[in-house]
Amino acid sequence: MSPSYDVLPVTLVTGFLGSGKSTLLADVLHGDAAKDTAILINEFGEVGLDHLLVGEVDARTVLLDNGCVCCSIRGELKEALATLFSQRARGDLPPFSRVILETTGLATPAPIVATLLADPVIRSHYALNATVTVVDALNAAQQRARHPEWLAQVSAADRLLISKSDLVDPTDIAALTRTLAALNPAAEVVVRASAADKVDMLFAPASSTDMMRRLGSGQRALGRGAAFPGFDSAASTDRATESNGAGDEGWYRDWSGDPASLAHRRAMPSLAVPDRPAPQDIVSFCMQIDEPIDWHVFTIWFTMLLNRHGDKILRVKGLLSIAGCAQPAVLHAVQHLVHPVLHLDAWPDAQRRSRLVFITEGLARESVEASYARFRQRLEEPDH
Amino acid sequence: MCGMCGLLGGGNHWSNTIPPGTGSNTRRQRLIHVALANRVLASFRLKLDDFHGQSFVLSSSTGTSELVGDFAQVWRIAEQMLGRSLDPLTLFAGDVATPPSSPPSGDRVDAITLHRFTDEQSTS
Repeated sequence: MSPSYDVLPVTLVTGFLGSGKSTLLADVLHGDAAKDTAILINEFGEVGLDHLLVGEVDARTVLLDNGCVCCSIRGELKEALATLFSQRARGDLPPFSRVILETTGLATPAPIVATLLADPVIRSHYALNATVTVVDALNAAQQRARHPEWLAQVSAADRLLISKSDLVDPTDIAALTRTLAALNPAAEVVVRASAADKVDMLFAPASSTDMMRRLGSGQRALGRGAAFPGFDSAASTDRATESNGAGDEGWYRDWSGDPASLAHRRAMPSLAVPDRPAPQDIVSFCMQIDEPIDWHVFTIWFTMLLNRHGDKILRVKGLLSIAGCAQPAVLHAVQHLVHPVLHLDAWPDAQRRSRLVFITEGLARESVEASYARFRQRLEEPDH
Repeated sequence: MCGMCGLLGGGNHWSNTIPPGTGSNTRRQRLIHVALANRVLASFRLKLDDFHGQSFVLSSSTGTSELVGDFAQVWRIAEQMLGRSLDPLTLFAGDVATPPSSPPSGDRVDAITLHRFTDEQSTS
């Protein structure tokens, strides 16, 4: 088929200023790993630097001119993506098969996702593959307290890579890991990764593999001591661990317990910054629905919920058991934006029920669940 | 959206996804969605209609009508028409909190039709 009809996967690499996004790319994209990969870099400031750091792939790099990729300039992102695709179709660029979009550290991912999902031209040629967020272990506490972009980046992530872990005490790394896992339970948290694992982090599709692992039974026995050396037993209760490239495929939280135990709050004393007022609580919880859902009722309810409270819903991700449909559906939303719904071939485990992880700001689990229950009651009753 | 023909509607919106194996199709799903949305909108004296299978027309009791592309826009425009928010967290809060008597059917149109038929039988 003509390359003009291809739909290319886009990996979004985000993370706060100085977290190590460009270092990640420079580390990974050598030789075969860089093959067939185009990179878009969005820089903040008059003079771009990052494209120089990944100079080996400079021939395929398009530098967005200026500023943050946000609502006001996402037209530039659209233009850059469209130009990239046109150059590929014309043969001006080699026929790359995947794209990495590195954002500025001040970007919030939602407008970028919106550009990929909502623009009719772009969505015909590109599909969001995964969002990888690099977290600076040294400055995470300050960045979280002072910059709301940090939280938006963490919430939107499919995978979280903790950088500069060698500069921080292992106990602090363990605390940060727990914090990240609590803030975004749907994301894989990796502390240190080999080059091969970093390649997987960037290019492995998020929806069909990571989702099944994390929202599945989570019963795999992990070599905790070996995987998380140097951490005390309390720290090792966390599911996130170190990637050693020795055959482990990924790490995930165990969702098989009581849903009540899955609620987490953002308050993490070890990372608190006392000179700033605490922002509104970020809550993550897993909403479980035992009976198969009525797809029509769910879409009515969820579109209403996102319309009114999308700004408070940082992330929703999970599996849906739909009445009359044997295959699980993957639902993935970032604020007001919902990705195209995918249907997996099979359930990852014996728990054939809907499980949705919500990351919200000021939106309680009880009110969300009660709201859906009321919609079910009102809309599923027979017409009169 | 094109206001003349409405054909550049929200066909790609996620809510238009048809779950495999449910036996539904685009038109059928659309009609069910409209019927359910009208259950929500009726109490606000708003009405939603399908438009060419691509868009919706949202109408108010005062004669205002607007072409909308997908359900994300339906609720936003409805709020604009009403001048107030439509909050699903408080909507139907006065209802008695009991689960529906039967599990959801994958075939809502048949369920609605069957119920009406049963009503006619009982009154005849």
